[in-house]
Amino acid sequence: MRNTLLAILLFLFQIAIYAQDGVMVQGTVTDSAGQPLPGASVVVQGTTTGTQTDFDGNFTLDNVPSDGILSISYLGFVTQEIGVDGSSTISIALSEDAQALDEVVVVGYGTQKKSDLTSSIVSVDTESMEKVPTGQLMQAVQGKAAGVQISSQGSPGESPEIIIRGVNSVYGDSNPLFVVDGVFFDSIDFLNASEIESLSILKDASAAAIYGVEASNGVILITTKGGKFNRNASISYTGYTGVQTAQNVLQMANSEQFVNFALESGSDSEIASVNSAMQRFGRSRINPNVPNVNTDWYDEVLRKAMTQNHDISINGGSENIAYSVGGNFFYQDGILDMNNSYERFNLRTKLDIKANDWLKVGGSIVYSNATKYDDEASAWQLAYFAVPILPVYDYLYTEADPLPYSDAKEIGYRGSQNPFPLMDNSDLNSKIRRTVANFYADFQLIPEQLNFKTSLSYNHAGTTGRSVKLPYYVTDDYQRSVDESSITRSQVTNESYVLDNVLTYQNTFDDHDLTLMGGMSYRDNYNSYFGTTGYFDPSGAFVRDKEQTWYIENTSTDSQTSYDGGSQSYWFSYFGRAAYKYKNKYLAYATYRAEGTNKYDETYVYLPAFGLGWVLSEESFMKDVSFIDYFKLRGGWGRLANGSVPASDGGVGSSTVQTVFNDQYYTGTQFETISDNISWEFTEETNIGISAKFLDSRLSLEADYFIKDTKDMVIPLSPLVGTEVSYQNVGSVRNKGIELAIGYNGKIGKDFGYSINANFSKLENEVTDLYTQPYIERGSAEFRQMIIKGQPIDVFYGYDIEGVYQTQAEIDADPVAQSAIAGGTNISPGYFKYKDVDGSGELDADDRVYLGAPVPDYFYGGSINLNYKNWDFSTSFYGQGGNVILNRNRAEVIWTTGRNVDAELAKNRWTGEGSTNAFPSSEGYRQSWNQKLSNFFLQEGDFFRIQNIQLAYTLKNDKLPEIRFSLTADRPFLWTKGYNGFNPEVGFDGIDSQTYPIPSTYSFGMSIKI
Amino acid sequence: MKSTIYIQCLLLVCGLYLTSCDNKLDEDAELRSYQNDIDYASEAGAYGALVGAYETFQNVGWEQIPLIAVRGDDVNAGGLGDQQGFADTDNYTYDNNFWMYNSLWENWFQDITQITSQIEQLELYRDGGVNSSLIDQYIAEAKTLRGFITLELSRVFGDVYRIESTDQSEITVETKDDLMQWISDQMDEAIPNLVNLHPNQRTDIPGGITKYTALTIKAMANLELGNYQAVADATGEVISSQKFELYDDYYQLFKIPGKLCNENILEIQYSDFGQSSGDNVAHLFAFYGPQNWTAAVPEATSGWGFFEPSTKYIKFMLDRGETIRLETSVLFTDRGIADIQTDANYATLPDFVTNTTRDGDIINDYSRAMFTSGKHYLPSIQLTEGRTDYGTNKNYTVIRYAEVLLMYAEALTRGASGTAGSADDALNMIRTRANMGTLSGVTSDDVMDEKFAELAMEWGIRYYDMIRLGETSELSYDGRTFTMDKAYLPYPLEQLDISPILDEYNNQNN
Repeated sequence: MRNTLLAILLFLFQIAIYAQDGVMVQGTVTDSAGQPLPGASVVVQGTTTGTQTDFDGNFTLDNVPSDGILSISYLGFVTQEIGVDGSSTISIALSEDAQALDEVVVVGYGTQKKSDLTSSIVSVDTESMEKVPTGQLMQAVQGKAAGVQISSQGSPGESPEIIIRGVNSVYGDSNPLFVVDGVFFDSIDFLNASEIESLSILKDASAAAIYGVEASNGVILITTKGGKFNRNASISYTGYTGVQTAQNVLQMANSEQFVNFALESGSDSEIASVNSAMQRFGRSRINPNVPNVNTDWYDEVLRKAMTQNHDISINGGSENIAYSVGGNFFYQDGILDMNNSYERFNLRTKLDIKANDWLKVGGSIVYSNATKYDDEASAWQLAYFAVPILPVYDYLYTEADPLPYSDAKEIGYRGSQNPFPLMDNSDLNSKIRRTVANFYADFQLIPEQLNFKTSLSYNHAGTTGRSVKLPYYVTDDYQRSVDESSITRSQVTNESYVLDNVLTYQNTFDDHDLTLMGGMSYRDNYNSYFGTTGYFDPSGAFVRDKEQTWYIENTSTDSQTSYDGGSQSYWFSYFGRAAYKYKNKYLAYATYRAEGTNKYDETYVYLPAFGLGWVLSEESFMKDVSFIDYFKLRGGWGRLANGSVPASDGGVGSSTVQTVFNDQYYTGTQFETISDNISWEFTEETNIGISAKFLDSRLSLEADYFIKDTKDMVIPLSPLVGTEVSYQNVGSVRNKGIELAIGYNGKIGKDFGYSINANFSKLENEVTDLYTQPYIERGSAEFRQMIIKGQPIDVFYGYDIEGVYQTQAEIDADPVAQSAIAGGTNISPGYFKYKDVDGSGELDADDRVYLGAPVPDYFYGGSINLNYKNWDFSTSFYGQGGNVILNRNRAEVIWTTGRNVDAELAKNRWTGEGSTNAFPSSEGYRQSWNQKLSNFFLQEGDFFRIQNIQLAYTLKNDKLPEIRFSLTADRPFLWTKGYNGFNPEVGFDGIDSQTYPIPSTYSFGMSIKI
Repeated sequence: MKSTIYIQCLLLVCGLYLTSCDNKLDEDAELRSYQNDIDYASEAGAYGALVGAYETFQNVGWEQIPLIAVRGDDVNAGGLGDQQGFADTDNYTYDNNFWMYNSLWENWFQDITQITSQIEQLELYRDGGVNSSLIDQYIAEAKTLRGFITLELSRVFGDVYRIESTDQSEITVETKDDLMQWISDQMDEAIPNLVNLHPNQRTDIPGGITKYTALTIKAMANLELGNYQAVADATGEVISSQKFELYDDYYQLFKIPGKLCNENILEIQYSDFGQSSGDNVAHLFAFYGPQNWTAAVPEATSGWGFFEPSTKYIKFMLDRGETIRLETSVLFTDRGIADIQTDANYATLPDFVTNTTRDGDIINDYSRAMFTSGKHYLPSIQLTEGRTDYGTNKNYTVIRYAEVLLMYAEALTRGASGTAGSADDALNMIRTRANMGTLSGVTSDDVMDEKFAELAMEWGIRYYDMIRLGETSELSYDGRTFTMDKAYLPYPLEQLDISPILDEYNNQNN
């Protein structure tokens, strides 16, 4: 109200002075819904006379020729021109630019109009990300961007794994680079979705190359929320609280199924253990042949867990200052029933100041403070192994402290099995503190044409770890005594500075649009880690239940071990970008970066990239095609370098050796025979794509095809001679794929709006060269994976099962079985029949085949949004597949036979001729013949999941602030194809052994805007 | 515009700052060792590099020497029911996928590469200012070790790699003859730079390489080539130096008292440092030892029973009336004695043929073999108190002066002229020490028989002599049939997989 008064006063004042000159025009600029648009530009065409609208969308212009034309423009809206025609009051409703192609996208060291892009960049809608109740920003991006694979983490505070367009390094990492307000990060676990304004993903090399050597796996650019000039303060609160519950919990054999399975095992010790369990715990009244215990271990270790999030944000700006301050609090309990949680609070401030007409300065600070209690990961595996005939507690142990945990050894098993002693007596704490500060000064050298921006950013991250293994006592044989109880304290510090200087020139000459940018960047990364482990001194001050005594101080001195290390690297770059556009039809784009570091012997790398675009829809011959509103062909090529591979030692490494002459030690030196010669890995990528809009721009399409060749991939190389393996840049891998994204927006009537989005990605990963080597063995001998030409990286390698021997006659008739039996192997009906691939008549290493790759080769996602009046509803889904998962829990029977099995195996086991051709008998499962890595232990990873369902109502009332209530079900439903575990997202290594399940979250949320 | 001046200043300041940053690209990374950290001016450093070469040579796997030696008619594999590939090899049935072949090839070529790396580093010490003649000597020692290993590998596999550089692209596969000539030339390069001492007279590296080691290896290479004059010249120089003598007690020669004695030219040295516990650098002699014994020192452990003197050898020795050499070379079990006695010609045996050694260790019957190699046996009473491993603290003898004398004698009987006495003289020195009567007018056959008697169970010397001479009939014994196409082991499959040059050579030549 006060602003309006002020405006009127100003208005009167202006009349008093300028009333004589020409026409004075005043008016209001609003959007199509009538909401005022502050900061819209109003210019008298052909003159420099112009102004901006105020907070309420009002403007006043003097000295306007009465036949003049006003041009009113606002970002994201169609510019309107309107004749003054002598009127003194003009109200304009701008229509939103339906093409939305003029959306500005953050690119390397600047911004570009989306319509001018020639490379593959995807912007993710931050609003849809906020619907996901997670503390991990990237978890909310899953399924929303084609070409970006994200493997969620269930463990609170863990960052998801991300691969953009395939794995292209074996020795280095495949993580994308995150750039938050100009600072480089390898993880953004410190940011909440509600704290960011934009997130764009540079997928191809022509887009990413400008970010240099950290960009070889793609770049994710994030801007945190900022204020806007001439904007009323907006105060908003967003929050939710919810409960998480494990989804698709793996069904293990219950006691009855387990006992049947054990009795059929043919193992005396198994049967004896069942009998001892009946001795110790009694017989079930329902089935007296089963012990009176039926523990569902997954049910025991899991719990329902709370999560909550609160976010306050205040944004606004005056004519010369734009500001944003805010705070966020996130809390998540883990679904593992132990001290397992993640808590984080963030504070942030961002300021932009127009110091004068040629200088703009500003800065931002984000402080993040997180505390994490990690899960005892082995619990997930123990819960699978622990037999159901064992209770959680065994009250016959009267001396136990703190709790009488049951012990499977007591009934004859080899290990104690019970996960609770580990869970209850582990305290795995880390405190993660991070400060990111950024300051800049932006000089307008030639207004609207040439500016120089210098910025300095600083990032400090410190992680203080404290892992404590506490003592417990059940019996003398089953305890962790004080002197076996340990504490590890660790400190990891990361510090980086970035200094950027960027000079940008842009101008338009008739039909030519030109942008030139040149810059320099200096970066300094420091990392140090230090830790000490000690075992508690039984005679010291350590007390189990008193956290104040958990210090290295209370460990015995001779048990203490420490480590200490660090790295320091300096990076120095020159870069430039040129973008040229002719008649809005033809686009050309090029970037170049020269980057140097002290990390490798080869100091500098040179990374060029370019792109071309052709907007066909601007051509006259396309003007008549009415259903096409916009159609662009684009293509690009770029070269990337991966600097994440560890540097080789400078020169020849040496080691000290001792040998004996005349009964005395002599000390000497041996030098490496082959030195590692590691340098940059280079990737060259070609991308072609289409961006198009149809049907009055309601339907949009983005399609991309890429081929990405990584040459000089670092691989371990066996020498021609000798045993010393060296690492050299001699491997190659190719990733190629297609990506499709379509969207449709529609409206039915005045009140009902809807939008549908979907994307699909197909990826092919293939090793193309291993230098002289036929293959590189990966994984372990029992669970072999390979890097081999023509196959994806880390493909599983094992035997192919044809079926199960049903009868002795079948075994007698099979030469493969016979030769194995002659070699001393026991084969009975109910055992696997393997495929004799080489037809040699015996099963040997040559019969192994490729059984599938760990990384999914297709994935897709989509969403449907509906709104009706004040209601809105959205749902999204995600799916992936083409990969296999090693069910290592099931496969580890190879090491321990006395253990539980999953219900699927227990129910479907081979029990006699014709019972099954896919599962072994109980006896067979325990025999080495059936434990070879085969497709029995590898399961199809394909799954489909409803990611999120949200229903919300927005309360709009003049007397109240705008309040939105929402109910959300996150990741509520999952369908898997072949996989029987409870989390098909086991990470990109494809191995399920200690995987934390992804919980479903049901939450209630509220947001208030003033 | 005033602002442009500010900005120019700013750019200047930034420029200066950034230029100073650029120097940081030359900074060393944390926790990395750099070649320039090595002090190449240090004489002690150069000595360390030499010791490193010896360490490689002395660090030998338990399976390597048995595989080299097992095919001769002096020894059998024993080892029933285990290490079938080893037994098959003894019977001239070769499997290129058997792990021992690959292990021998891989480890010893690694040793050669390691020694070559040490030589390259020694050159850097020379550049760094260390006394050049000292570097010459050290390099000569390393070359001698490399020559010996190459010689052994070529005897086993025939045509193998010649390695003179750690640059793997310079490695070539050469014929056995070319390799032997190269070894001979390498020794010629080394000899002038080596010390003129008995190895046991060296104080810097006791038992290390001297001029005479290189001369002996040169003789061995030329013996393979049939260059008998070169053999006579090289061995003659060793004999004339008078630095070597046969050790009086043939039995003790292979035991603790024989360590670094005047007869030994090259030994792989081990030690328990005379301590009952703690560090013990030892060879796994258990491989050769009897599987079952009642040792004079009850705690002493037995062996694995894999290396069995052949019945042919035992009968050959009995026929010759050998005493000390048979007693030293073979440990008998009752089962073995009974087996010999089934042949009526050997119904009565000398007294020393018994299952109890002169030091009181009783060799009990065991399943794997009937006889045990005595040259790899250490009486339990010679174990340092507290040590129990079979044979521990014993050195592994590589080259003895006896072999030099026998090479000299053979060269002369095959037409070479010598300045270090007659073939009779050389042979009779050997025979006298073994309590055998002297001979005159010895023939090549006499020398070969003497070599068989003297050097059995040692490094397959017998086998490679027979190969060299094409004596297939000698190797066709105990039901075996030997033909010359069985002379060399096939290249290990794994090596063909990883080495294109070896694979190509194999395809062209085999």
